[in-house]
Amino acid sequence: MNRIALLLRKDVLVLRRSPLLLGILLAYPIAIAVLVGLVASYASSKPRVAFVDEDNLPPTVIVGGERFHVDRTIREVSQNVKLVRLSPEAARRQLRTGGVVAVVTVPPGFIASLKGMVKSPQLELELSKGTLSSRVEQQVQALVYSLNRQLQRAYIENNLRYVTLILHGGDGSFLGQPIDVLGIEKADKVLAGMPQTPKVERLRGFLHDARLALANTDDALRSTAHPIELVRSPTRGRTWVLSAEVQAYALGLTITFLALMLAAGSLAAERDENVIGRLARGLIGLGHLIWAKVALAAGVAVVLGLAIAVAFGAIIEVGGVTGGEPWRRLPLLVVGLVLAGGALGALGALLGALAGEARSASLVALLVVMPIVFLGLIPAEVVPPAAWASDALPFAHSVRFFSAALYDLSPWGSVLREGLWLVALGAAFGGLARVGARRLLV
Amino acid sequence: MSSGSPLLAARGTSRSFGKTAALDAVELEVWEGDALALVGPNGAGKSTLLSILAGALEPSGGDVERRNGLRVGWAPQRPAQYGRLSARENLELFARLEGEPDPKAAAGRLLDEFDLPGEAAPSSNLSVGNRQRLNLAIALLGDAEVLLLDEPTAALDPEQRRRLWERAAALREAGGAVVFATQNLDEVERVADRVAALRDGGLVFAGPAGEYDRSQTESLFA
Repeated sequence: MNRIALLLRKDVLVLRRSPLLLGILLAYPIAIAVLVGLVASYASSKPRVAFVDEDNLPPTVIVGGERFHVDRTIREVSQNVKLVRLSPEAARRQLRTGGVVAVVTVPPGFIASLKGMVKSPQLELELSKGTLSSRVEQQVQALVYSLNRQLQRAYIENNLRYVTLILHGGDGSFLGQPIDVLGIEKADKVLAGMPQTPKVERLRGFLHDARLALANTDDALRSTAHPIELVRSPTRGRTWVLSAEVQAYALGLTITFLALMLAAGSLAAERDENVIGRLARGLIGLGHLIWAKVALAAGVAVVLGLAIAVAFGAIIEVGGVTGGEPWRRLPLLVVGLVLAGGALGALGALLGALAGEARSASLVALLVVMPIVFLGLIPAEVVPPAAWASDALPFAHSVRFFSAALYDLSPWGSVLREGLWLVALGAAFGGLARVGARRLLV
Repeated sequence: MSSGSPLLAARGTSRSFGKTAALDAVELEVWEGDALALVGPNGAGKSTLLSILAGALEPSGGDVERRNGLRVGWAPQRPAQYGRLSARENLELFARLEGEPDPKAAAGRLLDEFDLPGEAAPSSNLSVGNRQRLNLAIALLGDAEVLLLDEPTAALDPEQRRRLWERAAALREAGGAVVFATQNLDEVERVADRVAALRDGGLVFAGPAGEYDRSQTESLFA
């Protein structure tokens, strides 16, 4: 059997016989998957918002001649929040205790202002303090926006009825008074029955132009309401929060933590056990020893990374989130896990060689994980030097690889670029670890 | 002593750890049939010299010569084995690394020879004496022609000491050699045919055991 494989087999055996370490290794991905699942369920959940009606809204309201069913309208516009009708006191109490994350109040006089169409009626919003508040505020703004759009549509429809009346004539009402309108078409017919004098012809010309112009009023009025309209394409796949970023970072963080700790600790343990001298006297070269640790980190990265990916996929399936093709991309993810685990393992081996003994190596690896991860989280546009430093470490490349492998429609360019980065970083750190491992022989 | 080149030789071998010189230009040869005792107080450089001769440590200066294809077994003073593996697993692993043709058989043979427990208990649970026996057993893997033993009998009972020196004698008769570091001067007189005394990393005496003056060496310890 290959000597690297012999050492790798020994390390796996040692790992299996370290119950605490094995427990952490098993619990860590499960904890990450559960946390990711919680984030996922949070992302798709509807915050509970209290709805306080101090204006005694009637079942139906007529605005601009359009009849609104209040409950149905609220249901239609509140798709992203769960509105709960509460008394003012109950709403305040639940806001304090966290039962609701916000209170939307319809103040007295709201309907009167709405019907008067002189000044904009106001809804009052009270938010809880916490991380959800900005998200709820956005959703309530979206709710008001949806409500405004419905009202706007009603106003436009009402105005267009007047335009139709002017065009075709007929009975209608204005400011509550019945009216009988001749209409442009009938007026043209009346003028056609008259002697065609220049004045009559001029009037008929005007009516012709007016009819053409008013015929286009419908679209013009609607486009005035929406100078730019955003049409959202139907999409397949998971929401952004559920998908690339969360899963890629969950994988990246787990692999970084485990690969660094394992490689650093297991290399330094060879010295703690006083075995490295025995190995180095011709049984196995220091380079091969580093390779064995890199292989150990890569192997554990694949097993645990896949466990997280499968757990994550299962949570998504159970959660009923449709779309996305995570299962089909798993083979590509395995490639990323091998490369990321290997590169991080090489960095871990370097830390192990520098630290010299297993406890220090594990502590150093633990302390190094967070800065590496945080460097990878800082956007390049914000602090360019942080991004440069992060480029010289495997974490950010691993995250980009995982994200592309799982979710990009055409992942090959990103996967190839990040894969080459990981190979280059792995080779560089592995070479440095090989040099540093000589310190372990002292 | 045979004619030709020695099995193993230190040629002006030095070793420093930082600014501390642990070994200073040591000249030493190991020949077929030798039982060479390394003596000297703690910190004299005995373990460093054995590690360098074994190839586990690189010299800072000078060189180490080995006869072509020479197989060397090394038992460091502190046992070098994996604590989470059993004695059998340790022996099988190192047998494979040493290129033993039948690792399982070699491990079984040494377990019997050294009276080591064959069950799956991790070797870190073994007694100090048993760990030292396992350490010596690992050194014997790979059909070694020269054994480098660092205070090999310190934790052994009398019966195990007798077996070890019998084994060493058999190796010498077969044309091999044994180099051992020890603090036990009685053992030097009983087993060694040559003595090398070290002090502060330097060789202060090297010659036949018959020429070795015990009282002179005892003064080194003082």
